[in-house]
Amino acid sequence: MTYPERPTRVREQQVSEVSADRVLEFPDGIPGFPGYERFVLVEELGDGVFQRLQSLDDPDLAMYVCSPWLFFPDYAPEVGPAEQEDLALQRAEDALVFCPVTIDPAAMRIYVNLLGPFVVNAETRRGRQLVLAGSDYPTRAPVDLTSA
Amino acid sequence: MLVLSRRPGESIVIGGQVVVTIIEVRGGQVRVGIDAPRSVEVHREEVYRQVARENVAAVESAGADPSLLRQAVRPAKPDDAQPAGEPPAS
Repeated sequence: MTYPERPTRVREQQVSEVSADRVLEFPDGIPGFPGYERFVLVEELGDGVFQRLQSLDDPDLAMYVCSPWLFFPDYAPEVGPAEQEDLALQRAEDALVFCPVTIDPAAMRIYVNLLGPFVVNAETRRGRQLVLAGSDYPTRAPVDLTSA
Repeated sequence: MLVLSRRPGESIVIGGQVVVTIIEVRGGQVRVGIDAPRSVEVHREEVYRQVARENVAAVESAGADPSLLRQAVRPAKPDDAQPAGEPPAS
């Protein structure tokens, strides 16, 4: 099995293609929550936009996520050769990408974390959260909101 | 914390698979080379912590009222000929 030596720009794929009850494995855990390795994506709001990334190990551990391209069409995260090999990603199409969403009700803002996208091999459902050091992507890219 | 003194060109082996080499020391900066298996994540601490902090904020905010999410506006996609599932929230 050979792996590309260059970073690959992953492309848009609908997060909702993963059904709610399929387990995603993050063998390294995720930054801030070490040791939590099994998650599912839940279509909780039914809007096809935001999913809930729910830990199977702790019911209190969940965050909203979304496909970054729904709001940032030009987003082009690079998956380095090491990550591609670790996730056995051979083609960009095999990557399922979604980003953490932070809601700030006090400020009436929603942010998408473009610095730390989750990348999952859609076939094996093994994934990790990348840290795109060296990119200029922010952890808090604001999403436009309709005025309620 | 284990503290070791090393000179440029010297290394530290961690766990048999990770080798940290001091490349150069100059003007208050140290250049460090790291050899590690590809499955081992290596990050500058401050960037890693930034992502960790935001994960914590995202998890905390997921317990709050998600109604703001329904107000999210997706940018128009002029080149998108086919209907892409759900219409933007309005």
